[in-house]
Amino acid sequence: MPIKTLEVIRKRLEERPAELRKLRESGQKVVGWTGYNVPEEIIYALGFIPIRIAIGGDDRLVEVGGRYASSKNCVFIREIVGVFSENEDPYIQQTDILAFDATCLQNFRAAEVIEYYFKKDVIVLGVPRNFYWEEGKEYFGKEADEFARLLEERAGVALDLAKLGESVALYNDIRKTLKSIYTFQAAKDNVISWVEVFDLIQAGDLLDKKEYLSLLHETLAELRALQHNPIIEVDGSEGRIFISGSLIPRGDRKLISIITSVGGRIVGDDIWTGILPHLDLEIKEISPAGVALGYLNRTPHAALPYLDLESDRRLKKLHELLGEFKAQGVIYHTLRYCDPFTFKAKETKDVLAKSDIPVLEIHTEYAGSDYEALRTRLEAFVEMIKIKAESAAEVIV
Amino acid sequence: MVKTDLYEYPPELREEFEATEAIQFRDGSSATAADVWHFMTEIAPKRYPFAYTQKKYAGVRLSRDIHLPSAIKNHYLLLTMNDRITRSRENGAPVIFVQGGQSVDPYYAAGGIALRPASVGLWARGRHEGLGLNEEVVRQHKQKEKAYHAISFEACQTAGYENIQEGGLPIDMVAPFTCLRCSDISYGVEAHRHGPNKAVKLMNIDYPMRHQADKTWAVEYFAQNLRRLTSEIGKLAGREVTDADLSKEIRLHNEGRRLAIETAELWWSADLPPTNGVDRRSLYQMGGMEVHGDPSASLTVLRESHAYIKERVNKGIKAEGVVDKPIRLFVCGSCVFPNDFRIEEAGAIIVGQDNHWSDISTLVEEDGDPYQNLAHAILSYPYEQSVEVRAAWTIEQLKKSRADGVLFLYQWGCNTQSAIARMLCDTIKRDTGIPTMIIEQHEGGSEQSEQLLNRVNAFIEML
Amino acid sequence: MSLKRNFFAGVDVGSLAAKSVILEDGKVFATGLVPSGFDSVESGLNALNLALETAGLKKEDLTYIVGTGYGRVSAPYANKAVTEITCHAKGANFLHPTVRTIIDMGGQDCKAIRIDQDGAVVDFAMNDKCAAGTGRFLEVMAGVFKVKLEDLGALSLSATELVPMSSTCTVFAESETISLVARGEKPANILNGIHHAIANRISGLFARVGITSDVFFSGGVAKNTGMKTAIEEALKVTIVKPEIDPQLIGALGAAVLARNFSKKQGLWS
Repeated sequence: MPIKTLEVIRKRLEERPAELRKLRESGQKVVGWTGYNVPEEIIYALGFIPIRIAIGGDDRLVEVGGRYASSKNCVFIREIVGVFSENEDPYIQQTDILAFDATCLQNFRAAEVIEYYFKKDVIVLGVPRNFYWEEGKEYFGKEADEFARLLEERAGVALDLAKLGESVALYNDIRKTLKSIYTFQAAKDNVISWVEVFDLIQAGDLLDKKEYLSLLHETLAELRALQHNPIIEVDGSEGRIFISGSLIPRGDRKLISIITSVGGRIVGDDIWTGILPHLDLEIKEISPAGVALGYLNRTPHAALPYLDLESDRRLKKLHELLGEFKAQGVIYHTLRYCDPFTFKAKETKDVLAKSDIPVLEIHTEYAGSDYEALRTRLEAFVEMIKIKAESAAEVIV
Repeated sequence: MVKTDLYEYPPELREEFEATEAIQFRDGSSATAADVWHFMTEIAPKRYPFAYTQKKYAGVRLSRDIHLPSAIKNHYLLLTMNDRITRSRENGAPVIFVQGGQSVDPYYAAGGIALRPASVGLWARGRHEGLGLNEEVVRQHKQKEKAYHAISFEACQTAGYENIQEGGLPIDMVAPFTCLRCSDISYGVEAHRHGPNKAVKLMNIDYPMRHQADKTWAVEYFAQNLRRLTSEIGKLAGREVTDADLSKEIRLHNEGRRLAIETAELWWSADLPPTNGVDRRSLYQMGGMEVHGDPSASLTVLRESHAYIKERVNKGIKAEGVVDKPIRLFVCGSCVFPNDFRIEEAGAIIVGQDNHWSDISTLVEEDGDPYQNLAHAILSYPYEQSVEVRAAWTIEQLKKSRADGVLFLYQWGCNTQSAIARMLCDTIKRDTGIPTMIIEQHEGGSEQSEQLLNRVNAFIEML
Repeated sequence: MSLKRNFFAGVDVGSLAAKSVILEDGKVFATGLVPSGFDSVESGLNALNLALETAGLKKEDLTYIVGTGYGRVSAPYANKAVTEITCHAKGANFLHPTVRTIIDMGGQDCKAIRIDQDGAVVDFAMNDKCAAGTGRFLEVMAGVFKVKLEDLGALSLSATELVPMSSTCTVFAESETISLVARGEKPANILNGIHHAIANRISGLFARVGITSDVFFSGGVAKNTGMKTAIEEALKVTIVKPEIDPQLIGALGAAVLARNFSKKQGLWS
């Protein structure tokens, strides 16, 4: 049974670029942001309209972006550069100011390239690699103060802490509601799929935040009416897949469509464009530094190196989510030249092997040329975990 | 295996060479020129025959500018790396893996030995004796492949991993700067956490970015990183590190840096190139005082060489094998460079490189808090600044070195230098009109590919 | 209960060759191997028809057909499609029940497959877009040296030295090879370097899935003795001697699965 609110959201997304144009004509400014640790609440509290820059899946734009950056940058970064070069994306066209962070150094370079070639006004937030040190947190707090100051200059107003508090409350409610909705997709007799929730999460990158929250509440109400209490349990024939690794932005549906076409059911993820950034974000102090620290203290992005394997929070979170969503296998997805994740592929596989969780590494880019090769791998993996789930032997042997 | 057809130093050179200065080591010992001659003519050809290859384009072969003492002494220091580092480590000096293109003052101040990837590779190479050129390259490839398997096939910088985790090299600590120069470095440090060698200590010296030298909090944060670094190395070395220790080390390293700057300015001022490209690069790098794993040794060789270069420049002596008026190339980019022998055969010469030179040519303030001074200097490296600032500095070097063209070379898999290549080259062309070319180097063997060298040669012909 | 003879076929359409195996009563009854053309349906049928012809059978005599290989997605002649990973596992297990690890090197990819005692896949890894170790890569190298593909292995085994090769990317390896030839290196020594470079790169797949004896080498490249030797050196293993053409293992596994599926569906007992 289709969820009616999802239809409303799709329609609102189609209308949004024209709406943004009108808002800009009336004097509002749009901040396009990208980076795992960009504290969006500060942007919102200053009266800007935040739009996330997360676009992928277009090999032509990757090629264009590579002319300005390099073919050795990850395809996501190249596509972002390509998007600014072509300036055809209806959302990107509406951006007045850009906010990048230095969580991933390639993201940092993309900011420089876009600033240099396309004369964009770019603010960059420094991010500590030693994020778990007190000194690192202090540095990040000061970077957040500077980030806020640079935005204040562009907004022409000082940051009002009361407004920042309201912004934090709004975003907290969005995160909490998303988490509730997410549980439904992984449950037995689900009426909403992971892909639909994934799209729903990404709609929040573009829609007005208050309207988005209201639509999330309506979605949740519909789900509760249709599905009551979601119960997550394993059905042996499903092939419950968890996606980990590099981000999958809007426009990139290659991997997801192949997984579902070969009979896999995606039940969870820990990717940057999925549920992960919305989990465990606790803001203890209403100030730019306080908000930023909330971001830094979440499950860290793989681009931030952590030097002790045993206490790695990223891997702990992965285990926790695999258990919560009762996944039977992990697709560890890496984009070409996405070092934060490719460097950890073998390690992640080894770590999960200790818990008897099979992992398939998929290394890909946005070109469609490897479609069949990926299909073979994914089909074989789904075959493998289904056989394993049904206690082997009987399905095929 | 008996090696034949190896290069031999002319015996008649012995007397002249043995009259040159001794190399003074950090531990107070020294090697006389006679010791060096004996090692290079009697011992090393048996232990390290690959270096004596007669293949004229082999990157590891000995310099043929035999009247320049530093050319032989530099090779001596490179070929004795295993002997020296192993001995120093046994005497209590912890060895730390660092990044190329960074200063090493704090590591030595704390009693450690800092080795960048290439130096770690040299140390590892020294542990495998008797190998000819092909055998040595096969050995390296096998090690590198193991690192690729454990980390990623898209990794560029794996030297730490292949030698420390896969090769059993007894490095005590991995603690490089995480600057934008190489994004693989911090992931490379992290990769050690799942390797078999659990004894190696890991630390990232966190390098802030974006106008970093102008931000007081960024300088303070980096100074805190440096304090933690010296404290951790001090623990390994069994000593407490004082501010005075660092101040003393900064003064010593500043001497190397100043000497390298003076040597470079002399070299650049000459009508005829006083050395070939390989020896020039070695001389400039000695100013960073990390290339041999012993700052004192590098400094003594550099001091002596400075006098030789001065004499050659004053007398108009040209290095052997270099044409009278070569095309002058300046190399930008990541930690690779085109084959000097082929470049010189084509009638050109490499006169400078931004990599390493960026840190070597950055002097550190000697008065005041040494950690703050060092942090500020390090965060000021031109290589790590915005493209406009880096380009302005590069243009200054192009003018000083009277370069005719710029080659931007980056290693396959290098994400951050490749990404700045076009911006930097476009800015240089815009502001100076000097031609530029961007080349990607795929993993090299003992020589570079014809494909790469064809492009370089065409560029030289164009100039 | 059926009293008639039951024949099961597996058809494996790869990028360079199409293979078919007909099985009866747990024994290989007939095989067919033809070069792949542009039409994968036609290639599969050609291989199947060749096996049928050899066996003196008609297609109607077959109880069940399983298609595999990249051509499995368009195999109207097959009752079911299964990936070649699962098929190679079954095929190797059928021939050698003690096999636990398979190296499959085909026309366009190579695979490391670890299996259990029942021939079920425990883990697997495949090369990415890089063509190192594939039949296509070796075809290019044979072209550079102007020798027949099947002679590459023997030529590399005649080497007196190992010339280091830094690249295993088809394009760059070709360029590097030409450079080495220009510098006077002997073809046999260069080929020795190429085979070892590929073997080292392939061993990376096993760093991901692990390696347990016995080890089986399947696919068209498995006929290359130079590659077999280089892999044995790189992985420090001894590869079991195949009882049939190693290129047919995928098709054999598909035939084994055809037998199992049809039994499960009650088509025979």
